Formats: sequence, structure tokens, C-alpha cells
Amino acid sequence: MRTRRLETIFSSRNTFIGWIILLILLALYPQVTELSGIRLLQLTQIFIFITLASNWNLIGGMTGYVDFGHAVFFGVGAFVMGILVTQVQNYIVFAPGLSFWQALPIAGLAAMLFALLIGLPTLRLKGPYFSIAMLGTFVAMREIVRVLKDFTGGGRGLDLPPVLNRERDYYFMLVWMGLVLIAIWWIHRSEFGQSLMAIREDEVGAEMRGINTTKHKIIAFMLAAFSTGIIGGFWAFQNTYIDPDVVFIEQRTVEMVMASMLGGLGTVWGPPLGALILYVLQDVVWSRVPEGHLVVLGVLLIIIVLFVPEGILGTFKNPSSTSLGRLLRGYREEQPRPETVATE
Amino acid sequence: MDQLLQALVNGLLLGGFYGVMVLGFSVIWGVMGVINLAHGEFVMIGAYFAWVLNRSLGIDPFLSLIVIMPVMFFVGWLLQRVLINRIVERPHLIALLVTFGLSIALANLFKLFFTADPRTVPVSYNGSFELAGLTFPIVKTIVFGLSLVVMLALHIFLQYTRLGKSIRAAAQNKEAARIVGVEVGRVYAITFGICIALTAAAGAMVSTTIPVFPFMGPPFTLKAFTITALGGLGRIPGALLGGIILGVVETLVAIMVPGVGTNLGIATSFVLLVVILIVRPQGLLKGLRPMEVT
Repeated sequence: MRTRRLETIFSSRNTFIGWIILLILLALYPQVTELSGIRLLQLTQIFIFITLASNWNLIGGMTGYVDFGHAVFFGVGAFVMGILVTQVQNYIVFAPGLSFWQALPIAGLAAMLFALLIGLPTLRLKGPYFSIAMLGTFVAMREIVRVLKDFTGGGRGLDLPPVLNRERDYYFMLVWMGLVLIAIWWIHRSEFGQSLMAIREDEVGAEMRGINTTKHKIIAFMLAAFSTGIIGGFWAFQNTYIDPDVVFIEQRTVEMVMASMLGGLGTVWGPPLGALILYVLQDVVWSRVPEGHLVVLGVLLIIIVLFVPEGILGTFKNPSSTSLGRLLRGYREEQPRPETVATE
Repeated sequence: MDQLLQALVNGLLLGGFYGVMVLGFSVIWGVMGVINLAHGEFVMIGAYFAWVLNRSLGIDPFLSLIVIMPVMFFVGWLLQRVLINRIVERPHLIALLVTFGLSIALANLFKLFFTADPRTVPVSYNGSFELAGLTFPIVKTIVFGLSLVVMLALHIFLQYTRLGKSIRAAAQNKEAARIVGVEVGRVYAITFGICIALTAAAGAMVSTTIPVFPFMGPPFTLKAFTITALGGLGRIPGALLGGIILGVVETLVAIMVPGVGTNLGIATSFVLLVVILIVRPQGLLKGLRPMEVT
């Protein structure tokens, strides 16, 4: 019973304990050994990767609303941060620019409010239409930010006060990642999370069972946007420079989608695992071919969607659900896919 | 008033181009139920194709359509056989993710080969003529005229030829089409080939009016989506009408919002899209298949 054993090893509780231990080790890491700035920066980037993937998973994986423009909340967070830190004194006399800690929650809340405004119309649409509407939101926001020169600096962008403190960045992202992962783990077990998954499986059915689907979807969307906005604000401060082209890049959304798909859509620990693998791949393998790595990323996404749609964790849990799992376990017979039934 | 009328003319000319640009997207969606997020990338490929032919052999971009369309038909046919065929009957989401991956891969592949520098395709007849007090840029007028011809040709093909009829049959009811002897797989591959050829042709035409660069695609995909929502899936008159509506709205926004120019094209298109999807979830016009938005 190989499957059974794998399932027990990857049980929610075991993985949760494993992650908690990993988080504690990571918290001690810079204290125990002398880390170079670049190593701290890399680890911080991994934390950002993992947290973004988990945020995306909340709406894209658990709720089943694949968001092709989630990076828009990153951008909103980053620009609200930039404006609050550098521009406010131009409009309110005697008000100095806000500090990092004052501006950060506002950046997150702004992204959340933006998610509410966008989600109210778009989350009423069915999955594919929502996906495209979000892609549109993303591209449109990039344009709008470029046009609003007075606030955002247009294409020239904004310079934030440079405060170089890699260790603070490291701990901030570690704590935020920990909070997000615990929150996702908790949501996954809670009634709220179960309702989200019910929406993913059968939205009409969920509605029939008395779940207020619109409310649930919007709350999940806003939570994801809040966390992504916080990271956007943090990133703006860490990077000390933002313009529409570095903040609103498709690659960021692709990475979130990729990491979630790779690890296992809708699982708690899949997206972090996928993000980790993706980061290592990008850093180790593709840094040698920096030009072509997005080509590889795109092709990899196609391959994953076609052959391993359940991701790594999904394959472990139910090997017969993906082509790869079937191949590894030596399954011969083609499993009937319930979704192939023609809908016309 | 004159300015308004001129804006309407510009919008109309732009709309004709949008009409032909959207055909491939709309017909693929209408016939196969696949939303092709890599649509804009095929516009980009067509534009680069015209640029390469113009630069290396000095072929006029409009003349190069004769070469581009057959080649891109084959590319589309092959792509359908290798990739799209695997996702046709799967849920929408799978198709979206696969074509999203395809669009990222294609855009960056072209960046690898052609760098991100914007290119322009020069034409010798780059002027404009006056008619009834209105200015008509020559190139844009040619694009408009050619677009109308292409749309008419496709319309006749779909309505009156045997192959066109089997394409429509496969769109309406795949099983029934199979029963009466339509080879659905073959029909899908041909449809995809035709659509990619048309999309690339639109790209080659537009290369004469806007700069060509690897990441020009996504706005076209988004506009194609808006126009399809306006005009119905797979309907050619609908594509033209939707294209003209979007073209006119875009130009009007450009003259009404000062200091912005055409920079808000996508934002306009997006607002229009969301409004249509919410006000009329079944699309403005009836298409080959219903939209089922909510």
C-alpha cells in the first residue's frame, strides 16, 4: 500500500509541523551563521515567491477562479506605497512622507479595496470570463498608472528613500510568509475554506446548499489581494524604485500560476513547494540562459497543464489522477475523465 | 463637429482592421470552444513575418500576405494537431492555461530572436488624401479595404462552400456532425489553420501603421475578447460591427480625454468589456454558440 503510506506522510498535520519547524530554523538561520547580504536577499525572494503563490492559490486554486491578473494587486500595493512615502507631502502641507510601517497597512488595504471594486463585477462572471477580465484589469491598470503622471511619475516612475536593511527585510518576509501559510492552512480546514472548495467543484450546487457564493468569493479575493498588496508595498520599499514596467509585469502572474500548478492547485502546501522548485529552477538552471528562461517557463506551464494537472502533491496523493502518476505507477488503462463529457 | 466627424472616420478605419483581427479568435472560440489567449502573439508573428520579408527581400507588406497566409495556415494546422487537439474537449480552464503558456513562450521566443526593439515596416505610399473635407490616411484605408475583402471572402466560404458548412456543423453540434460524416478532427485543424492565417494577415497589415515588438500581443487578445463579446462568437458581420464599435469608442475617448491620446485604448476596451459582460451576459449579438457568462 504505497499510496496509503505516502498519504500519511503528506498528511496535513505532518506537513504543518514540518513547515513550522522549517520556519523556526529559518528564523534562527541568520543568527547562527554569518550570512552574506546576497544570500539574505535570495531567501527573501524565495519567501516572496512562496507567499505570492499561496495568495494566488486562495482564489485561483481553492475557489477555482483562475486569476490571470493577480499581479495587479502587487502593482497597486507598490504604487500606493510609493505615493505615500514620496508624494504625500506635495499635497498635504506639513505632512512628511509616511514611514514604511505606516504606509504598509495602507498599501495592503488599498489593494484589498481595489479587489472589492474589481471583484464585485468580475466575480459574478464564470471562470474563463473572470480570467480574461482580470487579465484586462492588469493591462488596463498598467496603462492608467502610466497616464496618471502627477501621482505615479508616469513612465519615469518613483524613487523611494533607500533604506538598506537586508536583515529586516528577511525577517519581515519570513513573518509574513509564516502568517499567510498558517492562515491558508487554517482556511483550508475551516468551514469558509470548505465553502470555497464547494464553489470550485460546483458553484450552483454550493448556492443550493445555502452558501452565499458571491460573499465567499469576494472575501477570498480580498484576502488574497490584501496579502499581495502588502508584498507589493514591501517590494517597492526594498527595491527603492518603481515604474509601471517593473511593477506590472506578466511574469509575476505567470510565476504565481506556475508555482501553484506545479505544486498542486488548491492544496495548502503545494504552492509553497512549487514556488520553491520554481525559484531553484530559475536561479540554478535558467540563470545560465537568462534570455530564454521565460520561453522555458511558458512551455513548462503547457506541459504541466497537459500532463500533471494535479501538480506534485496531487500526484503523490492520487497517482492515477495524472498522466505522470499513471506512468510512474505503471497504470495502463486510461482513466475516464469526468469533465470530458460534452456539454453541448 | 469636423473633429468629431474625423474621429468617426478614424474609428471606422480602425474598426475595419479590428474586424479582421478578431476573426481568428472569434471563429476558433465559436467552432471549438477554445479561448485562445495566444491570439495577440499570432498578430505579432504576422507583423514580424512582414517585417522580415520587407527587410530582407523588400517585399511590400500587403503583397507579402500571399506568402504569409499559406505558411501560417500550415503553422496553425500543425499547432492544432500537436497541441490544441488535446484541449478542445477539456474544460475552458485547461485551454486558457495552455494558451496562456503558449503566449508567454511565443512572445519571449520572439524577443530572443528579434530583441525587444520596436521595428517599423516602411511603405512608399505613406500619405493621406482628402475626401469631402475629411482626411483619409492611405495606408489605413488600404488596410480597411483589404479587411473588408477578407471578411467577405471568409463569410462566403463559411456560408456556401462544403467545407465551410462542415465547419459550421461541427460548431453547432459536434456529435451530429460526426454522424453525418464530418471528420471533426480534420475540420478543427483546417479551421485553426485558417484562423491563424487570418490573424497573421491582420498582423502583417497592422505592421505598416504601428511599431512591431515582441510584447505587442496581449492588448490585441484583450480587444479581440471585447469585440467577440460584442459581436457574438464566430459571426463575421458581428466581428465587423463589434470592431467598428470598439474602434469608434477608442477614438472618441482619445479626443475627449485631453492629454492622453490613444494611451487609454486598453482601459477603454476593458471597461467596455466588463459593461457588456454584466449588462448582456449572452453577448450583444447571437453567435455560433452561446456565451454563458454567468
